[in-house]
Amino acid sequence: MDNTRSNIPAISPAAVVVTAVFLLVSVIGINWFTTFVPVVLPEQASAESKSVDELFYILMIIGGVVFFMIQGMLLISVIAFRARPGDHSDGPTYHGNPLLEVIWTVIPAMVVVFLAVVSYNIWTQNSEPKASVNMVEGQSISINVTGARYAWTHQYVTERFDEAGNQIVINSGPDLHTFIGQNVDLTLQTQDVIHSYWAPAMRVKQDLLPGDPAQGGRPTQLRFTPVRVEGRAYPAEYPIVCAELCGDGHGRMRGSVIVYEDENQFLDLFYEPAIHAILNPPADPVLRGEMEIQNYICNSCHILDSLDWTATTGPSLNGIAERAGERVPGQSAEEYIATSIWNSGAFRVPGYDQQMAAFGPDVVEAANVMTPEQLYSIVAYLCTQGEGSDCDMDNASTAIPDAIQTVFGYEVDITFGMDGDAGAESADAEAEAGEDSA
Amino acid sequence: MATIAVPLGAQGEQQEADALRRPALSDYLRWSVDHKIIGVQYGVSAFLFFMIGGAMAMLIRLELWTPALDVMVSGAAYNSLFTIHGTIMIFLFIIPMWAAFGNFVVPLQLGAKDMAFPWLNAFAFWLIPPAAVIVLLGYFVSPAEAGWTSYPPLSTLFSGDGQTLWALGAHLLGISSIMGSINFIVTIFNMRPPEMTLWRMPLLCWAVLATSIIAVMATPFLAGALTLLLLDRVAGTTFFDAAGGGDVLLWQNIFWFYSHPAVYIMVLPGMGVLSEVLSVHSRKPVFGYRMVGLSSMGIAFVGFTVWAHHMFTSLQPELRIPFMITTMIIAVPTGIKMFSWLGTIWGGKIRFTSAMLFALGFLSLFVIGGISGVMLAALPFDIHVHDTYFVVSHFHFVLFGGSVFAVYAALYHWFPKVTGRMMNERLGQIHFLFTYFGFLFTFFPMHVVGMLGMPRRVAVYVEAFQPWNQLISFSAFVLGFSSFIVIYNVIKSYYHGPIAGANPWRALTLEWQTTSPPPATNFADDPIPFEDPYGYGTEASGAYLDAVDEAFSGAQPARSGSH
Amino acid sequence: MTTIIDQQGKPKLGAADLRLKNNRLGMTIFQISWIMVFLALIIVNWQLRFSYSQWPPAGVAPFDPLLPSAATLALLLSSVLVRRGLQTLRRNHLGGFLMRWRGAMVLGLAFMAIIVYEFASVSDAAMATQYGVTMRLMTGFHFVHALAILAIMARVYRGGAAGSYSGDERHSWPVEGTAKLWYFVTLAWLMFYVVLYWIR
Repeated sequence: MDNTRSNIPAISPAAVVVTAVFLLVSVIGINWFTTFVPVVLPEQASAESKSVDELFYILMIIGGVVFFMIQGMLLISVIAFRARPGDHSDGPTYHGNPLLEVIWTVIPAMVVVFLAVVSYNIWTQNSEPKASVNMVEGQSISINVTGARYAWTHQYVTERFDEAGNQIVINSGPDLHTFIGQNVDLTLQTQDVIHSYWAPAMRVKQDLLPGDPAQGGRPTQLRFTPVRVEGRAYPAEYPIVCAELCGDGHGRMRGSVIVYEDENQFLDLFYEPAIHAILNPPADPVLRGEMEIQNYICNSCHILDSLDWTATTGPSLNGIAERAGERVPGQSAEEYIATSIWNSGAFRVPGYDQQMAAFGPDVVEAANVMTPEQLYSIVAYLCTQGEGSDCDMDNASTAIPDAIQTVFGYEVDITFGMDGDAGAESADAEAEAGEDSA
Repeated sequence: MATIAVPLGAQGEQQEADALRRPALSDYLRWSVDHKIIGVQYGVSAFLFFMIGGAMAMLIRLELWTPALDVMVSGAAYNSLFTIHGTIMIFLFIIPMWAAFGNFVVPLQLGAKDMAFPWLNAFAFWLIPPAAVIVLLGYFVSPAEAGWTSYPPLSTLFSGDGQTLWALGAHLLGISSIMGSINFIVTIFNMRPPEMTLWRMPLLCWAVLATSIIAVMATPFLAGALTLLLLDRVAGTTFFDAAGGGDVLLWQNIFWFYSHPAVYIMVLPGMGVLSEVLSVHSRKPVFGYRMVGLSSMGIAFVGFTVWAHHMFTSLQPELRIPFMITTMIIAVPTGIKMFSWLGTIWGGKIRFTSAMLFALGFLSLFVIGGISGVMLAALPFDIHVHDTYFVVSHFHFVLFGGSVFAVYAALYHWFPKVTGRMMNERLGQIHFLFTYFGFLFTFFPMHVVGMLGMPRRVAVYVEAFQPWNQLISFSAFVLGFSSFIVIYNVIKSYYHGPIAGANPWRALTLEWQTTSPPPATNFADDPIPFEDPYGYGTEASGAYLDAVDEAFSGAQPARSGSH
Repeated sequence: MTTIIDQQGKPKLGAADLRLKNNRLGMTIFQISWIMVFLALIIVNWQLRFSYSQWPPAGVAPFDPLLPSAATLALLLSSVLVRRGLQTLRRNHLGGFLMRWRGAMVLGLAFMAIIVYEFASVSDAAMATQYGVTMRLMTGFHFVHALAILAIMARVYRGGAAGSYSGDERHSWPVEGTAKLWYFVTLAWLMFYVVLYWIR
């Protein structure tokens, strides 16, 4: 061709117009996009989310420039350099330009190094251990998260003690309760497969790794600090989801971060009532069982209409009391239910092939520890599920402890919490909370 | 089919008859050591698996039309659906599809009569059907449901027996891939004509060489990992079971040490195709030929140092930083390719053939996958979007917007060589429009749902995401429909397309300097490559191409529509 | 462009030379590729060490390297004999080749016998930990390869006895290829030997 040596072909008027239009579009486009960003990311509910989103802006701006540059050059090329009808000739024999090639090697290299440095700074800033973590009432407590197929359990190991001198542990099920400004530091453990704890509004995620239970598992850490979101009413609720495929119910494995406005609100609405309920459980074992059963992960596998449970991995608990007496010949309803909870391998309901998690007084997983007293109340509660009950409900306070004694050999202290008067006290607490928020 | 040593340019009518002398369809169903037959066998079977995997994708999108679980009977059934979808698309579609084009085109581009090891070549292909049967048999026992990544302990202690079959099938496919790759490397190093130095080799060969080097170095790690997985499942060992002293991250390390480079196994040949197609159809040499070739090698090399970015949420925090840096760096050689391709079409005389449209589509979509790739490399941002639909979007932009668009570009580009007939350009353009926009509206919104909080691999999701998912599903159905256009086009063109002639695109690489389809020994005699495989626009190249046209002038070359 | 050359005029030797060249390069690449599996197993061994506070784990006696060292020596000698055998064949000394090849096979068998013994005598305490399990995994995996290649060596020996090979390197590829596979077995074992018995 004529210009085997010349460089890029002369610029045509069409190309100039296209370039101008393209530049205009890209400037408007990037501007428009920055207003669009809040729509594509969740609320910024943690200190970490702000810096992560700053990184996202930087990435978007650099990515946007690259995007518009390349699409623009493509657009110009297909318009300006299309072969005109009847033109069968070849293009210029132009093999390259070393300077240009150096430029488009070095500049992207510098850009990615810049991005790496920015990312590194944000990463170290976000993952740095904080001086005070999980502070409640001036004391540091531990918050443990357990992942099990397919539920999250949150446990607060408080610095309070019950009358017997045992440390009080609050089990808040799938919800993490925290407050603005608290440096949350979670210890995550899994009971079975790998899960991934993700709170999108906090921009944090961490896998839960199975470890050797004999060596205390393989705990991982997750840190974040909730911040105020303008226009939000408190307590505010943000989702927690499982991000690592864990099986059948992976998509259902959810929870909530409940952020209170300040420590007082946290104490009034969550912490104190929870401790109070533990110290003063309802005298009626059935009521207590209703409370206890929700502290465990039972809802992740079973259906129970009374508590709005919908999971289908395990057999339904609706009407369990009607069937319990006939399941295993020679076993009373109480014995059957107690056995099914503590020794779940003993009987497998036809049609369900998954082994239930282990519960009992000696299991390794903290979230699954269940005292004989707790078992007693849970059995009492389950004995009320159904039209009629196979259980001897008139003598529940002797029949169920006897069953537990027969099957597992444990004495049950049925006086546990009998002196409590939970109803009145918690009503007081709610009233106080109401005053505070007013 | 004996080769007839026809004095070139002397017997036009004889050449026309040759042009249509295609292997009988039954030849494709038998054992054959002819690389051209094997190439078609790879291609057709891979496309078949593409359709099966695609049908599964349609089911996935149907399930995600509503937030509840309604199409599939259980979450586990949904899990096995995307597990098998991923496995088919990666191991039975993309990797064999590139073996198809590599097999058909590479020996021709090198002027060779066949691959270095024809028998091994056939054997590598015939491992695929039994492997596929083994993987799919899982559906009749209890299917694998741990995702194509098969993380233990889900894949060892929980997933059904289909998981064992999955691992066996993947084992066979890995061995097939290693054998094919050894064959490519030896062919490329030893079978070139003396005139063709490495630096005069077509860029597809460079890409296949880089790909094969990755495959031979990385696939053995997959074999190792799968062996351990099988032992854990069958023999009661505890390599991945923490209770027995095992380590779940062991699998992730070894698996990703293969599977990240495998991403480049899936996309590098597509990049090679792109260099060919863009240069030929814009009538201009590849810009910065050496850098394009070397960047393939650069990607292959750096690709081995980035695997743990798949483990940003599970790796010890202090190990995450080095992998972020290597992952960032791998954007550089990829960028070199993008810019070089733009430099190639810039100032050219672009013919909007279907092949070119898909190549341009690749450029326009792959850049999005590249940008989201750098975003994912940025550790703090990755922590947020790890294992979400953002990642699903990213790798489909790379593997569909990249690889599949390159597969289509290659199909439209080389179909005339394979069958001797041209494809219908009008249908090709319609196919492109449906594919491009179907793809864009399927996968672009996935970025957004991912960032908003939708994890990947879920059958149920919160209602707030339903409008997004319905947009995605609708577009996915459009995308699914588009593949029927190309199937129709292929079948119609195979029987009724215009006769292509030897060199319908007037391309300089050697595969076009013989009849279409080529005779059994590929060339009537040893072909002499033009000094520069992309030297378009010079008088010498014009004369060379005219001589080719004249030599094979029996059948009037039916040029593309724009001529 | 192309000139017309009579296909028949091409020297037949060219094809045989090309085949040999292809075989050699193919074998080299295969060796580089397949050694990666052995490397992968070494990585497995190393990563699993980190699951334990000490290695070998507490209460497990370390393997005694004495017998394996003897086995390693036997394998090395066997490899040397294989090489000598190939060189002898190149000088058209069929008898010498067969003798050395036989020696190599006997040494190879001795190596394998020791490995089988070592495999069988892993203590229960060791098998309760990854220390014993990875040892069995690695030696077992290596053993399968050694066995297969020894079988090929036996075949080559029979071929050699039947006079199938000559000193011409184009007619002795099976011998050369098998020798290279045996070097591969030796190299793979050396890596395992060091990792299993010497790196604590």
